[in-house]
Amino acid sequence: MRQFLGSIKLTFRELWAMKITLGLFIMTTIAWIMLSFALSLDVVEGSIAAVRILGFENHAPTEAVRDLESGEIIRDEEGSIIRQGLSLDNFVLGINDFVFSLAYIFGTLIGLFATMPLVSGFLEQGRIDLLLSKPISRTKLLWGHLSGVWAIVFLLSSYLITAVWLVISFKTGVWQFHLLLAIPTITVMFAVIFSVVITISIAFRSTGLALVMAYGCIFVSAILAAKDQIVPQLSEFWGAVFVTLYHILPNYFEVMAGMMQLASDGSVTSTYPLVSSILFGVVVYAIGFFLFNRRDF
Amino acid sequence: MADSSAEQAVVTTDLTKIYSGFARKRTVHALDALSISVGRGEIFGLLGPNGAGKTTLLKILLAVVKPTSGEARLLGRTVTDWRSRSEIGFLPENHRFPPFLTAIGALRTYGELSNVSDSEIETRADRLLSRVGLSAWRDDRIKTFSKGMMQRLGIAQALLNDPAVLFLDEPTDGVDPIGRREIRDLLSELRDEGKTIFLNSHLLSEVELICDRVAILHKGRLIQSGTIEELTAGETGYVITLESESDGDAEGRLKSALPTALHTEYSVEKSVNGGSSDQFSISIGATTPEELNEWIDQLRNAGLFITAIRPRSISLETKFIQTITDRDDRAGIDAGGKITGAGAGA
Repeated sequence: MRQFLGSIKLTFRELWAMKITLGLFIMTTIAWIMLSFALSLDVVEGSIAAVRILGFENHAPTEAVRDLESGEIIRDEEGSIIRQGLSLDNFVLGINDFVFSLAYIFGTLIGLFATMPLVSGFLEQGRIDLLLSKPISRTKLLWGHLSGVWAIVFLLSSYLITAVWLVISFKTGVWQFHLLLAIPTITVMFAVIFSVVITISIAFRSTGLALVMAYGCIFVSAILAAKDQIVPQLSEFWGAVFVTLYHILPNYFEVMAGMMQLASDGSVTSTYPLVSSILFGVVVYAIGFFLFNRRDF
Repeated sequence: MADSSAEQAVVTTDLTKIYSGFARKRTVHALDALSISVGRGEIFGLLGPNGAGKTTLLKILLAVVKPTSGEARLLGRTVTDWRSRSEIGFLPENHRFPPFLTAIGALRTYGELSNVSDSEIETRADRLLSRVGLSAWRDDRIKTFSKGMMQRLGIAQALLNDPAVLFLDEPTDGVDPIGRREIRDLLSELRDEGKTIFLNSHLLSEVELICDRVAILHKGRLIQSGTIEELTAGETGYVITLESESDGDAEGRLKSALPTALHTEYSVEKSVNGGSSDQFSISIGATTPEELNEWIDQLRNAGLFITAIRPRSISLETKFIQTITDRDDRAGIDAGGKITGAGAGA
């Protein structure tokens, strides 16, 4: 355990020394300070105040809902006009959606980019052979390194999301705790994509290739997310290939969509994208550990 | 044959390593059925030209590289068992400590990875930094260190867990002459403390000075091993160095002074000093002390000034070059180009 913690500590110290953690911390701080300023603007304050003053704490009606085709005003069973409005819930969720999707995408991309030197440093000749000569199993050594990276991403995303959540919640008085689920979601999806980085780096000793493959997975997942629209347009063979890729590769963007849905109504239509992504990560990490235990350094 | 008992610090049996793979243009036989053993408390030197397999052997012993076949044991445990590394220290060639760490920080970090307790780290770290002459740089970042300082820190790091066996790959690389002397003294002290030292070095003069036993590797095979005395012995006799005034007749006087009554083979080399005197070296073959004294008397009587007398032997470097050259010549004769008749146990 002491060696495992030592390995984590070394990863932390390296990230700190490379000013990566500091850079991400500063960027995160700037992000939520800017959000605080934005929420303090007169127009936003005014909107929030208006919602409250109108006496609709959570549902402030403003405009009648019309049928999209006929344009007629829609009424409920009792004949009352159905109105859509600026509700505090929707207002909070709108900001959350914006912040969390930014945190999700940029957090992963910047996180991958920032941790690349860490991976190349870990596997560098002269460093790795010294580490491997210590009385610690290769599995434990790699676990320690990975845990350090995951922990950093978890702490930074916790800092960003919690800070944003606190700013919005205090400002609006609406406390939606399920929004905090964005923290483990971001961490888990970063870990899934990072599995590609570490495994390719171990297999080919090329961090550049690893980064390209990781970003490639994210890019492809954006296309795979449109499965329902694309597959009907393809031949049977290519449709099957597409569907297979959909099930094999991480569903990065679908998980983001699921997270947004969770943020908006607290429910999740399907956990499959997250589960299949985690399975992908588990398999790729297993390959990475296998190679790390087998290969010569 | 290698002794596999726990009394030996290092034992390898028919150790073979073949590097191959789809990315390689050709298969490389880095080690070929290598069997050696190193006793506890020895300073063992591993010699060989570039590509002989020295670093591969070291890496296999430390489980950094996996053997293709054969077995390697450290202190009685197979090297694939990570616990075998709990009693070893290692200084890799071209090691790279994280540059952001301080000297003391590096010792703490690698101490933790070696499962050394905090209290032991604090007790030993300062003592080791002092021992390798880095006390003044205790809190300086490694990125400001010279190559020699890095080597000293590497040695301190390797000693932090108080290992029974120390593996050092080119420990004096980049170290100045005074530093080399200090490292040699340190290694001698460690041997006196009962530690086994496995030394991989290109500096044969240093190996000759501190190693109890050496092995010469060539193309992955062990071609010679033994004590320094065993390897450098082979010729008995003396080399007499003398000077004479550069009056044009020194050579004549030397020739007339050479004993004719003694049936001893000898050879004379003249090296002109460029000043007012000439210098000669007379290498005389097997002789008794009485015969040596007769030589001295006759040379002195001829007005020649003796400046040095030393026993005739070959240096480890000469022996090394001879051994490798002979082996290459023999390999050239062999139709397959493969070395035959090697691989004797140490």
